[in-house]
Amino acid sequence: MKLIQFLIITVLYILSFGHASFSSEVNIYSHRQPFLINPFLEAFTNKTGIKTNVVYSTKGLAQRLKSEGENSPADLVLTVDIGRLYIYEDNKLLLPIESKILTENIPSHLRSPQNTWFGLSKRARVIVVSKDRVNPSQIERIEDLANPEWRGRICSRPGSHVYNRALMASIIAANGESKAEKWAKSFVENLARRPQGNDRAQVKAIFEGQCDVAIINNYYFGKLKYSEDPQQREWAKNVNLIFPNQQNNDRGAHVNISGGGVAKFSKNKENAIKLLEFLSSEAAQNLYGKINFEYPANPNISPSEELISWGKPREDKIPIIKIAELAPNAQRIIDRVGW
Amino acid sequence: MVTSLTITEKFNQISIDIWHLVPWILSFILIGPVICLFITASGDSGGLWDHLYQTVLIKYVLNTIKLMVGVSIIVLIFGVGTAWLVTRYEFIGKKVFDWMLMLPAACPAYLVAYAYTDFFEYAGPVQSLLRNFFGWQNAQHYWFPEIRSLGGAILVMSFVLYPYVYVLARTSFLRSPSSFYEIGKLYNKNIFFSVGLPLARPAIIAGLALVCMEVISDFGTVEFFTVETLTLGIFNVWLGMNNLVAAAQISIIAFIFVIALLFIEFKSRANRRFNDSSQRQTIIKKVSLPPLKSTFSALFCFFPIFMGFLLPVILLLLHSFKTSYHQDWSILFNIVWNTILISSLGAISIIVISSSTAIISFYKGSKILNKFTDLASTGYAFPGTMLSIGVLVFAGFIDKSYVSGMNLITENSKFGLLSGTVIILLLAYVARFQAVGYGSIRSGLTQVPENLIDASYTMGKSFTETLTQIILPLIKTSIIAGGLLAFVDIMKELPMTLLLRPFNFETLATYTYQFAHDELIEQASLPALLIILSGLIPVIFMNKFLRDIKI
Repeated sequence: MKLIQFLIITVLYILSFGHASFSSEVNIYSHRQPFLINPFLEAFTNKTGIKTNVVYSTKGLAQRLKSEGENSPADLVLTVDIGRLYIYEDNKLLLPIESKILTENIPSHLRSPQNTWFGLSKRARVIVVSKDRVNPSQIERIEDLANPEWRGRICSRPGSHVYNRALMASIIAANGESKAEKWAKSFVENLARRPQGNDRAQVKAIFEGQCDVAIINNYYFGKLKYSEDPQQREWAKNVNLIFPNQQNNDRGAHVNISGGGVAKFSKNKENAIKLLEFLSSEAAQNLYGKINFEYPANPNISPSEELISWGKPREDKIPIIKIAELAPNAQRIIDRVGW
Repeated sequence: MVTSLTITEKFNQISIDIWHLVPWILSFILIGPVICLFITASGDSGGLWDHLYQTVLIKYVLNTIKLMVGVSIIVLIFGVGTAWLVTRYEFIGKKVFDWMLMLPAACPAYLVAYAYTDFFEYAGPVQSLLRNFFGWQNAQHYWFPEIRSLGGAILVMSFVLYPYVYVLARTSFLRSPSSFYEIGKLYNKNIFFSVGLPLARPAIIAGLALVCMEVISDFGTVEFFTVETLTLGIFNVWLGMNNLVAAAQISIIAFIFVIALLFIEFKSRANRRFNDSSQRQTIIKKVSLPPLKSTFSALFCFFPIFMGFLLPVILLLLHSFKTSYHQDWSILFNIVWNTILISSLGAISIIVISSSTAIISFYKGSKILNKFTDLASTGYAFPGTMLSIGVLVFAGFIDKSYVSGMNLITENSKFGLLSGTVIILLLAYVARFQAVGYGSIRSGLTQVPENLIDASYTMGKSFTETLTQIILPLIKTSIIAGGLLAFVDIMKELPMTLLLRPFNFETLATYTYQFAHDELIEQASLPALLIILSGLIPVIFMNKFLRDIKI
């Protein structure tokens, strides 16, 4: 009997997590980790009194939204990487929204032509090189990493990771598919070890002397530089940062975005739009740099002082949606060259 | 003639039909998500297969096979070897090893992989020590196996997965009739190879099948070590090429692997029912080992515990001391509570469902029903995220029917029954981990003496009475073993919980993941340790229930 009592209480407790729908709420499907997104949501709730509920998952949320269809409790989708945003749009899961605030705050190459999704922050794909073993002037473009002088000296995360796939897509967009594949082939020949680990691990490998050059997202440099772990701070001290493709007539460094859009069958549409607008506003845009060393998507907000101290990179202004459209082609090249 | 039947007879007939119906319905619900995945896979993959075949597919398949074979070998050596030692012999520390051998089951493989990488890689303490000791300058001066490799993945998975084989083999060794051993001794045969192993074979193979399914569906470890298996391929195709159809098709290949495994298990089970109903049955007496052999046995048992539990726990502890990351204990306590509740609820559902399908199909079912209930436990073979997509489609279908049904009555029904509730999560757990309970109970049933059942019927007892008075007491330990394994599995489960959970619902696994995903091992260490710690609860239970079991 005690077991039955326990079961009943448990079931009741656990069902209390089900979907309640109050008017002052917004339900979020997030691809961003809670510890990164919570400071923004807290600021939003403090300002508006609207409560936020979150499900965080790295994969499959688009499929969840799709299967739930009209019955979905979700109001807002937040993601990192343009590829994921594009999947939502591709499956027609997002609502076109008319918001003057959003279209003013977010430049057109960082949002969808239909205003279904909006980029909220930018991250640059940058090159890091060993301070002791590499003269930073030796590398000016991402294309230089295919040169034979780097044979056995580059470390990389697997090519099929979203960040590298997006970078590959940007190279296809700039140079065409066959040139891009040639580059990828030579780049893979230059690798010092089998592609592995995340961006942090590449900086570590340079510190350890396994290789001299790596490609990382700019914010990892900041995370290492200000890490609680003294060892990780040493890794960051050991490398120089290079923003590639900065010459006068070059295209600029490849950037990816984090962003969001309103779910098609949202029941709290106004709140969801309010949250997106808040995320594009000055207060939130400043937070991106402060919390995660990302660049604001809003061109009227200047990057954090720390970011400015690393340099003032020019970004590749190709419409970001192109990167998503070319991602499948990029993955094919990555499969063929074994990156 | 029907009309001449008495009311009781009629009632009996109906109730027999209900008995038959229960496993059919339950199995259908479990297999629903799998069917939905097949439907997804039947779409058009846009000519992707040519590309896959020419580039990566063969590599995926070969790596998957290598990983499975490697893990199976190590798991068999340590799982069966340790189970045999602790059930048959007395040696130093045997009592402690007996329950500690279960502990690695509480460690999620991907977390062990994180901890190991830090420890064994170039800058880790092991290689640094070697360099200092021998005066090597850098990596070019010596050779050290790379931990982020196929070999590393085999190592990590083997030492957290062997407990599946250990538990089932141990139960089976303990329950093997001692008379068989006596006969083996009389004929001067090696009793391990001629008696113990053949008798425990169904249980060992059931355990091994679980291990192999776990290997096929693993994503965390292979992603971290970049071992390109089918599962890693599924994600490259799905998220990289935005092609869910092709991804579902690859997961069907993995599924075929598993069907093959289950077929092997099924074959090994057929016509192999060993039991002894004689009164003389006594618990096998344990042989005391001489000092040297005793030490060796102790070391043999200690090694897998060290690799799969002690070392990872020590490493995580060291990491968690290193961080000053502020930990809100009340949040953490809540998460622990959630985790234990949902895991118990899931484990109980699995036990109820797998017992009813296994027992009814075993004693009352036709061949087709038997195959169907076997099939219903194949959810285990899919990578968690892929199965959750099947679950989502299945639940979406049910919810849509429900909402349109409700709209006929109330007109403003907005939400489904399942989506975003804990029920969908429970459905996913049962669909995935049914195999754990089912396998354990099936192997227990093969050891129930048939003549006891016959005797019960002869005495005029009904099936229900036979079930409660004979079958259930005899397979109690198998049920508990299955339930506890399921509990631990759910507690560690990540991809399905991550994707299907309600708003603001965290388990230890999801909470750990947000840090581990970013390779923030210091922040991840404390919740990871709590996963392992909560995993100790079922181990302690198991110890209490399964110690000195009697038939």
